Amino acid sequence: MNLPNYFLADLPPEATLSPAMIAEACQTLKRNREHYLQNRKTESLIRVLSDVADGWLEAENPFRKLALECGTAQTGFSRETLARGLDNFFKQLTRENFHALLVQEFGDAKRFDSLVATAAEQKQNRAAIVSAPELQIHICAGSIPNPALTSIVFGLLTRSAQFVKCASGASFLPRLFAHSVYEADGKLGACLEIAEWRGGNAALESALFAEADCVTATGSDETLDKIRQQLALKTKFLGYGHRVSFGFVAGEVLYGSRAKKIVAAAAGDVVAWNQLGCLSPHVIYIQLGGEILPEHFAQLLAEELEKREQTEPRGELPPEHAAAIASRRGIYEVRAAHSPESTRHWCSKDSTAWTVVYEADPRFQLSCLNRFIYVKGVADLKTALESADSVRGKISTVGIAAPEEKINEIASQLARWGATRVCPLGQMQNPPLTWRHDGRPVLGDLVTWTDLEM
Amino acid sequence: MPSGCRGKPAANKHRMNTELSSFASRLRGSIESGFSNESFEAMALELFALQFKHNAVFRKICEARGLTPKIIEHWTRIPFMPASAFKEFELTSLPPNERTAVFHSSGTTEQKPSRHFHNAESLAVYEASLLKWFEQNCGLPIADCGLVILTPPPGQARNSSLVHMFEIVRQKFGAPQNVFVGKTSTDGVWTLDFDATLAMFADNPKSAICNPKLVLGTAFSFVHLLDFLAENNLRFQLPENSRVMETGGYKNRSRSMPKSDLHALISERLGVPRENIICEYGMSELSSQAYEVRSQKSEVRSQNEDGAFQFPPWARVQVVSPETGREVADGETGLIRIFDLANVFSVAAVQTEDFGIRRGDGFELVGRAQLAEARGCSLMTA
Repeated sequence: MNLPNYFLADLPPEATLSPAMIAEACQTLKRNREHYLQNRKTESLIRVLSDVADGWLEAENPFRKLALECGTAQTGFSRETLARGLDNFFKQLTRENFHALLVQEFGDAKRFDSLVATAAEQKQNRAAIVSAPELQIHICAGSIPNPALTSIVFGLLTRSAQFVKCASGASFLPRLFAHSVYEADGKLGACLEIAEWRGGNAALESALFAEADCVTATGSDETLDKIRQQLALKTKFLGYGHRVSFGFVAGEVLYGSRAKKIVAAAAGDVVAWNQLGCLSPHVIYIQLGGEILPEHFAQLLAEELEKREQTEPRGELPPEHAAAIASRRGIYEVRAAHSPESTRHWCSKDSTAWTVVYEADPRFQLSCLNRFIYVKGVADLKTALESADSVRGKISTVGIAAPEEKINEIASQLARWGATRVCPLGQMQNPPLTWRHDGRPVLGDLVTWTDLEM
Repeated sequence: MPSGCRGKPAANKHRMNTELSSFASRLRGSIESGFSNESFEAMALELFALQFKHNAVFRKICEARGLTPKIIEHWTRIPFMPASAFKEFELTSLPPNERTAVFHSSGTTEQKPSRHFHNAESLAVYEASLLKWFEQNCGLPIADCGLVILTPPPGQARNSSLVHMFEIVRQKFGAPQNVFVGKTSTDGVWTLDFDATLAMFADNPKSAICNPKLVLGTAFSFVHLLDFLAENNLRFQLPENSRVMETGGYKNRSRSMPKSDLHALISERLGVPRENIICEYGMSELSSQAYEVRSQKSEVRSQNEDGAFQFPPWARVQVVSPETGREVADGETGLIRIFDLANVFSVAAVQTEDFGIRRGDGFELVGRAQLAEARGCSLMTA
């Protein structure tokens, strides 16, 4: 790879990071932010970010090319999976969407630039401005790049300097994105740092946390708890814990060509980022009573996943992940042979590329992911929710396929139950820029308001 | 499980036991008199046919895969059962009233354990198998050494195949019951009686010839012992030729450590040189065990390099790719699959969740796989 040696993650693998290097990097970031970012206008930031995103959508863009050429070796995702995932992400970064986001969060897109007032505020003779932390630190886990990329984008939009700490082996795409920002606008790039090390390195992390005004982190509850304990009281902490998602298909839409489209949509959600995101479904609930029975749906889904494997292969897995799939398949094979009326399974031949398990038992099952999906039949949404009680409060997204007139009712039911995002099946891994992660404000948690009363 | 007959066995069950019993008795004889490698293939196919006939759960999976005795011509093609199936199904051809013992896999209490059922005949095969291979691998003439066993005695661990194995070894040694220096606490945890252990180690008559010791235990029992010795600043120099046999796996019962560190500490604290530390690989779902055989050229290999585990000739191993299920090439890593003829009354072909590197007809153990959760922001590891 031919990238300038600019970020810590660009250092050769044998280079060892020291706490002093981390502290120095944070000091530099803060200085650069003061000079280059603190007073940038929102419009100018939006322009840079949307231009960078447009670039990533062009086939000849060098960063995109590098991502697709070296991405499989670096991330394990196939070229096609990467291309689709990156396209879906960068398509969201448009001027319109940035404006919509700022209006959603702050009532006015210029809220960072000056004291402004919405119509309601004007009536009350009020105005307000927001400011963001000087240095944000992002602790990113997992292998899908979206959380890290989103954090970087939001951090720049809010004018914070940022230190992005990636999990070991997961810095490739955030690093490329940071380089693309640096190339588009060196001053903005100078307010970013990307590094990677295996989580739990106390010396590096305490040096890092000592500098932070705000820490965002994704990870297990245990990881989040450990991070939180290391932070000073004044440091803002936004932790995003484990979440899982599922799909629900109403019986009324399971007929003819519509059913076919729904199957394709479900397959899209299983294939996207190899199902590794917290927005990816573990289970797809099929309401009984439609033209297509749940086990038939499972079979159609298996056929569709096989087709997708030809056009968007899953890619190779580390042996322990393949073993997790092989082991689960083993037990479902025995169950299916023993009681085929309540368990059936479909598997890719000579590989672990995809697996569909149909179970009559509607209890929610955590998938081992990497395109391993459960299909379960339920009488109605109420039964599905009762069956998913074990993950209540841990659900991010519910992807639904239902008659239009029922969508509000279903979404209300899901909201009361605790789901924080309801979207069409097929779009589970494509949240809009304005998506409220875990039901929380997108940018609202990052900023501090200053109110002016006149 | 109470022994003895409850109710009258059905006629077909009687026939079943005759066929399998006859196989078991032949196998036992063959193990005791020196198993011939040439007989493996035929016996494997014969056992497959019997298990297909008499083990309903197994038959169903064979039929589902379309693999029946009529079409299978080589032992490597015989359908395997995942070890995890022992948790959910009664993978046995012994009717409930004939089962006199059941061995459970160890694991956390929340999980259902594997269950491997036995009766007197199947235990007899198990015992013949374990003794023969143990004697060949423990490296000591059994009559000449003092045994110390770091597990609870059988009375406190009725469902442990490992403890049963050690008990059979103890009986063979003619050693008293008190060589078991472990105990089971009220919450089911295995601990060590340190006083009793130390007394055993110190029990060296001051005569000119000291009997070597043979210390048997799990990796975690050795960690408990070594921690205790370190805390109390104690070191032993066990008599020359003493041996330590450890069986892997920590199962969260102690802190875990790399094998080379464990062996270094054992050498340091017990005075047993590394070459006299033997590793065993076994599981409740099997009836034979593998021992680590160091290369002939062990003196020129680095000390940390592991040897290959070998099963006895009546059990064979395949290392298979988790991706394709096919055997990997020599030197490659995969999941360990075992065909154990001594599993007469359960199923012979067992797919484990353990990773190994294929080394000839043996394997180097990579780990008792804690199957990785997929890495993503859904289920993550930092």
